[in-house]
Amino acid sequence: MRQFSLFLGKEWREQARSFKLVWVPLVFIFFGALEPLTYHFLPQILESVGNLPEGAAFTLPEMSGADVYASLTGQYQTVGLLVLVLAFMGSLSGERKSGTGTLLYVRPISYAAYYLSKWTAAVGLAVLSVWLGYGMAATYIVQLYDPVPGFPDVVLFLLVMSVWIAFAVTLTMTASAALPTGGAAGAALGILFIGLMIDGIVGAYWTWSPWKLQAYGLAFLTGSPDSGDLAGSLGVTAGLTILLVLSGILLARKNASKAKV
Amino acid sequence: MNPVLEVSGLTKQYDGFRAVDGLTFALEEHTATALIGPNGSGKTTTLSMLAGLLRQSSGTIRFNGAGNDPRSTIGFLPQYPNFFPWMTAMEYMELAAGLSGLGSREVRTACEKTLGFVGLGSAGKKRLGGFSGGMKQRLGLAQAIVHRPALLLLDEPVSALDPAGRREVMEMLKELGESTTILYSTHILNDAEEMTDQLLFLRNGQMIEQGPLHEVRKKYGGSGYRVLFADRKAAERFAGAAPWDANADGQAVTISGESVSMEELLRFAAEHSQGITDIGRASIRLEDIFMKVVEKP
Repeated sequence: MRQFSLFLGKEWREQARSFKLVWVPLVFIFFGALEPLTYHFLPQILESVGNLPEGAAFTLPEMSGADVYASLTGQYQTVGLLVLVLAFMGSLSGERKSGTGTLLYVRPISYAAYYLSKWTAAVGLAVLSVWLGYGMAATYIVQLYDPVPGFPDVVLFLLVMSVWIAFAVTLTMTASAALPTGGAAGAALGILFIGLMIDGIVGAYWTWSPWKLQAYGLAFLTGSPDSGDLAGSLGVTAGLTILLVLSGILLARKNASKAKV
Repeated sequence: MNPVLEVSGLTKQYDGFRAVDGLTFALEEHTATALIGPNGSGKTTTLSMLAGLLRQSSGTIRFNGAGNDPRSTIGFLPQYPNFFPWMTAMEYMELAAGLSGLGSREVRTACEKTLGFVGLGSAGKKRLGGFSGGMKQRLGLAQAIVHRPALLLLDEPVSALDPAGRREVMEMLKELGESTTILYSTHILNDAEEMTDQLLFLRNGQMIEQGPLHEVRKKYGGSGYRVLFADRKAAERFAGAAPWDANADGQAVTISGESVSMEELLRFAAEHSQGITDIGRASIRLEDIFMKVVEKP
């Protein structure tokens, strides 16, 4: 426990001093503000940009608050995941490559404390960023759109999203424990995006999957998701996350010998 | 005496070659041992295995008196220590000391004392990204000794330093050597000569010579005398007149220690004193032994 808090202090300082603590949330807040504003002011934007032929007319779909949340979620599923993977892809592999890890590994450290401190800091920052991003979006949505989802439904949606984000970050961390930084980024992005693609194309054949969590979460905003499917997906995701954490700890220990001396 | 570390048949096999091949040695308590060998002879690989970074392919490493985790009794300094550039020296030391098991109450004083010992007392609040090579080496030493390990493993501790820095670090190591067992690799043999009880010579991963400094010395030429002259001619004249085995080399004449006693030499020198500036014992330098050992077939 002592080692965990020492390591966590180090991670916290590193995030603060490398400004990760600032730019990761900023990216999410930026998209959170941009999405509702763009849709709301789209007609005016098109008008002021001009260059439209005489008599051109658009029928823009009437967006509800839930639609904007869904659209923002689409952004977070691409740009957001990319940012998170890039932010955390080197958290273990970087310390091996630079040799800064070497002087930690020669001490009587617990690799569980080592991995879990990084995991806590990364998942904490990622989930916080996502909440801040949706929070930003919510402040505009309640003012500019109608109807808007109720507050408790948005919180339920965010809780489900948090489980998905934690899974994505855990995958990145364990990839970083297993592989060099470049390979870790490739593996994490590959699994996340190929998973989303496969689920999008043939996902009708199954109902329990981490990649479906966003859809089930969004369903809270328009009604309610099938509780069995949601529970199943949450269970599968939690199970996979735990497996990833355990293998991440083992891999961090195993790969300590690859640290630069 | 009880050895702190016993190594037997230590081998590291990589695809196709053995970086370290069957090393067997022991380190007695509070002694200093120099691991000597040309580049690529397996010094760093050996130290990495002892530090627990690498797992040996075969052989045993036994730490006596260590608890469950031998890493808690070791202090390790790599040749080029790497630090988190965004940390300050004091933050780094506190992390290192804490992870090595120092209690929260002793951490602060231990870190301050250690930073002072290595001459970084006033650099505690500086970011490590701005540290010079010499300061990094000092901090490297500080993080290795802050938890007072029974065994210090140092990989080329002074090679990267300028002569003044080297002298200071050697003095620190000598002081540490009074209460700690030290194993260090080096190719600066003058330094090794100064602070070594035992020598381990490596070549191509194999131990080709080992033993206490004085024994190795004896084996490779022992000691003799050296007489210095003001000019070469005087040296040659002296060597020519001497009734024993004497070699003139520039302004110096060396005489094997087996053929003559100091008393006889002095008596002879008194009669042939012209041009003598210095007279004394000379033992074979480690550098000469190194060349002999490394080139040995």
